[in-house]
Amino acid sequence: MGLSRQDVPAGRSRVYDAIVVGSGISGGWAAKELTERGLEVLLLERGGPVEHGPGYITEHKAPWEFELRGRDDRRSMERDQFLQSQAGPVHEATRHFFVNDRENPYTFDEDKPFLWIRGYHLGGRSIMWGRQSYRMGDLDFDANAREGVGVDWPIRYADLAPWYDHVERFAGISGRAEGMPQLPDGAFLPPMPFRAGEVRVKEGIESAFPDRRMTIGRSAVLTQPHEGRGACHYCGPCDRGCSAGAYFCSLSSTLPAARATGRLTVRTDSIVHSVMYDEARDVATGVRVLDAETGEDLEFRSRIVFLCASAFGSTQILLMSRTPRFPGGLGSSSGELGHNIMDHHFKLGARGTVPGLEDRYYFGHRPNGIYLMRFRNVDRASRYPDFLRGYGYQGSAGREGWGRGIGEAGIGEELKARLRTPGEWRMSLVAFGEMLPRHDNHLTLDDYTTDAWGLPALRIHCTLGENELAMRRDMTAAGAEMLEAAGCTDVETWEDVYRPGEGIHEMGTARMGRDPRTSVLNANNQLHDVPNVFVTDGACMTSAACQNPSLTYMALTARAAAFAVEARGRGELPVGPG
Amino acid sequence: MHREWRSGSLRRVSAATMPHLLTREAPMDESAGIPRREAVRRLGVLVGGALSSSTVSALLAGCGPEPRDPPASWTPRALSSAQLDRLAAVVDRILPPTDTPGASEVGVPEFIDRLLADWAREDERTRVLDGLDSLDDLSVEALGTPFLEADRAQQTELLSRLDVEAVAARGRDDDPLPFFATLKEWTLVGYYTSEAGATRELQWLAAPGRFDGDLPLDEVGRTWA
Repeated sequence: MGLSRQDVPAGRSRVYDAIVVGSGISGGWAAKELTERGLEVLLLERGGPVEHGPGYITEHKAPWEFELRGRDDRRSMERDQFLQSQAGPVHEATRHFFVNDRENPYTFDEDKPFLWIRGYHLGGRSIMWGRQSYRMGDLDFDANAREGVGVDWPIRYADLAPWYDHVERFAGISGRAEGMPQLPDGAFLPPMPFRAGEVRVKEGIESAFPDRRMTIGRSAVLTQPHEGRGACHYCGPCDRGCSAGAYFCSLSSTLPAARATGRLTVRTDSIVHSVMYDEARDVATGVRVLDAETGEDLEFRSRIVFLCASAFGSTQILLMSRTPRFPGGLGSSSGELGHNIMDHHFKLGARGTVPGLEDRYYFGHRPNGIYLMRFRNVDRASRYPDFLRGYGYQGSAGREGWGRGIGEAGIGEELKARLRTPGEWRMSLVAFGEMLPRHDNHLTLDDYTTDAWGLPALRIHCTLGENELAMRRDMTAAGAEMLEAAGCTDVETWEDVYRPGEGIHEMGTARMGRDPRTSVLNANNQLHDVPNVFVTDGACMTSAACQNPSLTYMALTARAAAFAVEARGRGELPVGPG
Repeated sequence: MHREWRSGSLRRVSAATMPHLLTREAPMDESAGIPRREAVRRLGVLVGGALSSSTVSALLAGCGPEPRDPPASWTPRALSSAQLDRLAAVVDRILPPTDTPGASEVGVPEFIDRLLADWAREDERTRVLDGLDSLDDLSVEALGTPFLEADRAQQTELLSRLDVEAVAARGRDDDPLPFFATLKEWTLVGYYTSEAGATRELQWLAAPGRFDGDLPLDEVGRTWA
């Protein structure tokens, strides 16, 4: 472990090469890359410590060991987690990894609800993430420029491809190479198998629609031992934590690598609330911290600052870093800081019964599903007039379990006997769609609401636009069309209310771009305004694509860290004290 | 300049200090259809697919400790003793003892009492408790005898009628559901997430160690808990 909070001296006694703010997926990568490249790094985490292994307090607990058997402690969650608990991943087995809404408020207009789902602890949301890991390709990096939406990404796939290779080799991504241009292949570990019902549906869809491809989810779960971590034992609920380290998270993967260099210092319970800025030299000189336990104000100094505090967290720190030159917050000169919020919109799709296969079943819980790649607007032939961009489907086929007995008639011995045998094969497709960047989707510091530490809460304004609404009409219908083509019966579409943020892929509030007048970060994730401040989490995203974004944050972070070290070595990076 | 954000000394937040923070009663609950679906889906996450794992029943029977579901002793917190007696009979008619234990033997009444005391909303608790109270009237009307004095076959017959109505109401997405629909759901949840229900009636493994997506059902045996 790193040093505990008390062991890290504050003030002017020490100048770190770099401070990394946040210990989730991006912060873990920044710490690893910067320390491995020789820098002395202070990693600041606003939440408390979690120890890999012992900190996973619900791991491998049997269903009967949960008092409410998965029904959630409704009363305490409605009191303390009334927003967090509305998101799927927050439940009886995982709620201790999600924040207390009373201590960590944010606000929104009553008619524009937003779900901001957070984990404040060492490792951040890398403990509870969904592990789906996809590259973005030039279809995505080109899109804004091609369509005149937002601003152009300042990089292309060729810039990021070697860094995808780099992070995949360390993280370990299982998956199948498919050779499809809309979703670049990677350096994969062996793929997880399909279930029998999925094979049936895949064959049906691909024969009816030869341009479409259903692959197994590309997942940061190990199918063989890798980098000193164990292979998956298929217990199922990864989001409780994995002592074997069989999925990528900061605690199992990047932080141990950073510690092994001897150059990492970790301080938890350290709420960074602003970046210190030297007006005369035009550089950042460190960060100001509020100790979450004692309330003390502390300063830590460094030559470089990496903000990896999550998209909104990093943006909030910048907004709070008001200086005479940047009255709207550090990095705000473009007027885009806090704007262009994006998420992935979902909670709709199609499902149906896969007939036959009554004599086939499966063994073990695969913590992964299928991925049906985007097929709208991927080339001229697939041009779809109703909307720009597209969506992909995640899902799975499985046999109904005992739960079907709740809705089926029958009681007594007959019911017991019936439920001993699994029910029908059911295939489910859940669509995840790209959201376009829009300036009016934005956040500000709330003038009236403060958190438990007296810091200003965020006020979030975010709605779906016309493009997303048009896309949603297709996301259900196209799913049903494919399931029917694959021979499924009882096919139905479904749609639940989606609140922006619910995808837990919030991004875009400090976007990268070529022009300092219209973007916050440059091609190397430096603030245009203050080049020794880097932002490499979801805030930097210029567009959202439709695939899960975490792998892209990893690659961008590693790339920016390498750039920072090399530029500093060449004397080309203005740095803080020392 | 960052000090401007500190509104006085450090303090813990309370609802009173955050008048602009939306409460749960505000717009997030507008989709009335969600809670039940969410509840069922989360249940799936926790006890259905997510814990699906494997063993052969014989293997489990041979190597595990004896199931410890039946609580040594407990005092109901929501149920009266008359309600508890009826509940025990009801859950055993829904999932009776066979070659594996029945619902009351594995602690389902205690689980339902816990839901009623710690989890259920007021209207739901009232509906279930009133429903248990009404069993005698229903029984006298249908069978000419109070519920607990009827024999098991008669009890099963009466509850089967309630079950047909409950399933129809569920199909219509009625809100509220009849009390028996709720009791049946809680009985199944309590039973199949109990140690005996999961490992003896069905099968469950903490760490399967491998994943095979396609093998004969005969080789697997029973439904995964």
